[in-house]
Amino acid sequence: MTKISQVSVGAQDATSKLFRAREHSVEVEARPLGGDDIKPRKFNPPLPRRYYLYLLAPAIGILAFISLYPFFWLIFLSMQDVDIMGGNWVGLENYANLLTDRRFLNGWSLLLKYSAACLFLQLTIGVILAVIVNNSRYEKVLVTALLMPMMMAPAVAGLLWLFLYNGTFGWYHWIMESLGILGSASILAKADTAMAAIVMVDVWQWTPLITLIALAGLKRVPRDQLEANMVDGASPLRNFFAITLPNLYPVLVIGVLLRFMDNFRFIDHILVLTGGGPASATKILPVYLFEVAFKFFKLGRGAAIALTLLLVTIVLGKILVSVFDKPKGSRS
Amino acid sequence: MFHKPKNALYSRVSRRKFLELGGYGATLLGTGSLAVGFNSVLMHSPVQAASSEEAKWKQYAGSKLVFLSENTPPSFAIRENIKAFYDLTGIEVEILTDDLPVVQQKTGIDLRSGKADYVLNYVQDKPIGAPFADFFVDQSRMFGDETLPQDPEGYGDGAWFENFLTACGRFYDESKVIALPYDSAVAATFYRQDLFEKHSKDFEAEYGYRLEFNNETTWKHVLDIAKFFKAAKESGMDVPYGYAQHQGSFAWTTQLDIQRLMFSHGQWIDFPIDDKLGSKTPGPTNWGDEQSVLMLEKFKELGDASHPDNLANGTLELNTVYQAGNLAMQVQFHEFAASVEDEKTSRAAGGRTAYAPCPKGEPSWIINGGQAVNGTNCGIGGIGINANASEDMQRAAYLFAIWSTSKQNQYEILAGLGGTPTRRSVLDIPEVAAARERPTSMPNALTFDAVYDYGIKDPHFVLGPKIPEANEYHSIIASETQAMLSGEMTPQETADILRQQLNDLNGNYPRRGIRWPVFRPPEIVLVGSERPPVGGPSGRLGD
Repeated sequence: MTKISQVSVGAQDATSKLFRAREHSVEVEARPLGGDDIKPRKFNPPLPRRYYLYLLAPAIGILAFISLYPFFWLIFLSMQDVDIMGGNWVGLENYANLLTDRRFLNGWSLLLKYSAACLFLQLTIGVILAVIVNNSRYEKVLVTALLMPMMMAPAVAGLLWLFLYNGTFGWYHWIMESLGILGSASILAKADTAMAAIVMVDVWQWTPLITLIALAGLKRVPRDQLEANMVDGASPLRNFFAITLPNLYPVLVIGVLLRFMDNFRFIDHILVLTGGGPASATKILPVYLFEVAFKFFKLGRGAAIALTLLLVTIVLGKILVSVFDKPKGSRS
Repeated sequence: MFHKPKNALYSRVSRRKFLELGGYGATLLGTGSLAVGFNSVLMHSPVQAASSEEAKWKQYAGSKLVFLSENTPPSFAIRENIKAFYDLTGIEVEILTDDLPVVQQKTGIDLRSGKADYVLNYVQDKPIGAPFADFFVDQSRMFGDETLPQDPEGYGDGAWFENFLTACGRFYDESKVIALPYDSAVAATFYRQDLFEKHSKDFEAEYGYRLEFNNETTWKHVLDIAKFFKAAKESGMDVPYGYAQHQGSFAWTTQLDIQRLMFSHGQWIDFPIDDKLGSKTPGPTNWGDEQSVLMLEKFKELGDASHPDNLANGTLELNTVYQAGNLAMQVQFHEFAASVEDEKTSRAAGGRTAYAPCPKGEPSWIINGGQAVNGTNCGIGGIGINANASEDMQRAAYLFAIWSTSKQNQYEILAGLGGTPTRRSVLDIPEVAAARERPTSMPNALTFDAVYDYGIKDPHFVLGPKIPEANEYHSIIASETQAMLSGEMTPQETADILRQQLNDLNGNYPRRGIRWPVFRPPEIVLVGSERPPVGGPSGRLGD
């Protein structure tokens, strides 16, 4: 027993009159035909809550085992002076010691510089490449070519660049030396250029990811807005900054977050290229963490470093999201 | 839209049947994985003391062992020749090889987690032996066991080159032997004899002595040579750089690099301990004293006169630079002679390279009153047995350890793949004796005069420090000396920072408490509330 009627979501809302919807009769909903003692048959009766709990239990159990248990174990571990065989409870001593550990502090400083440089370059180059490739005649070929570095394992990329940078037989070294960009020392042999070398590898390998994401975003930039802006006399550059870029923010935030977290995790190419040297110039915090945990087997100290890394990743991630969300908010 | 065959498989197999098949498949996969996981297998036929030699070798026939080793020539050669061991014992040995840092990590995790996935381990003296010494079997209890075969030459110090057994086998305790010397890398000087002869007159005109290298050549001479070649190179002459250090990313060889210079001058060592045996409580470091500051100054001077890629070249890369003809001299490990003498890949081959001991200390640079020596260090790789393995598994592993370090095996590795022997008796083999002179079929033998007859002997030999924190110690030394070479710190500042960091490190030994495969609340894990800590009242090992 239904009837078609005009929906009046709010009588004062004139725009709602434009829409029509199927609506149940109030009488039918409120008073079933059979009277109060006859209840309508329920084909999908609500099940007790514990039934859903049983269904979810295996997934929750697995998640707890692979994620929550290690996380809490990590916290527990960080409060011990421990190797794999066991340890002594030291409370917050590991954290306190980190505050005076110059390798730890240096690791943070380098990580922030490295991450900022990588993100800035990847975003800038990635978006420019996406704009160039978008709607190009050779878009498919270009996208395929651009994706190639990303398909390479980071350790292999590191090895590849290690050969290119080599001061004895490296091709890039020869080019940079011939152009006068570098002296006779290879780029990895100086503390002040080694960081640039590892940033370059990361940018080479992961800029295509930003390009790909930006390209997907460019496809959904509303053409009517672009055209309207052009009709108003805006230049292509103004069009890009006023229309295209704001529309890209939601997708770019995903790319930035991914790359930001990757920079805090991926150290394969750094280990291959420099091992953190020379003179700790590329020993970003994750490299130091790897050393502490798996070379020195100081698992308690390693856990404390890992937790600080996790905490800062979360906080910085939140800040990044809010920064990228802001333009969107201002538009609305 | 798509063609659907009437007799398609999915239409014939019911969902229940499909799930059943999936279950069977998963079970099979799980069983297979378990079988692969249990990769060390033991079969045992008990033998008596009076049993035949063959029975003693065959008592573990059908067993399987896993050996985790560094990717060095002996491991490749033994893997090539592993059938001989199988024929002798009936034991299957899987040899896994990797770079030393990876071996170090895998070994550490296996040993310290109480497992024995790798029954046989490569015990490189400081990187693996020093931190994990307590986790290896004391093999001396098997020496002379009449139910096991024994090497006719025995296993005492006299069977090996001087200091070798102590270097890789004895850690913190004179009475135990945790590894038998398996391969060696001893530092020696490789120099371009052809270039030295060619530029001798110019050099003599400038420095007042002949450009040559021998046992009496000092570090001051090395500095002069490095400066001479660098100046010539920068003036546009077609000459290589004179010298380069091992300052790349491998912290251990970076530490060895500076150690040679330090020890040459008054036999300076990092800690006041028995250098060969090591200590779990090394006490305050000697870094920061006048001698160490002076040595850092000289090390910096040497770095400034070195090849421009000094801070990027690890040991392997340095040798590549030398092979490419871009270096006139390097202090390098003697196992690299095989590659240097390979005419297909090296411009330094064909009699161009000569070998000498490491440089000697310059008397005028010694201010601690000690002796000037040719400080020579090394990496002696031993073969050790995982103490987590069962007794029988350990005995089966011992068979492999004595076979792989036997005279015949070492000779075959030297002749076949350019290995570096550890048993003295190998040098007595006529073919080896002949190979010490050019032309030779065993290039590494060209270094034996400098290495086995001189450098490895006392008073030139230096090894340490063997301390449980050896790997972090190497990392600290490498980072700070590289910072000094980069010009970020003065030698005095570097020495002070090293003293502070190494003293901090000493107060931070790993403590072995209760095993913890499961979560325990803090109060249960507290060592001291349950039982006294391992080692002594302070909780530090070795107390």
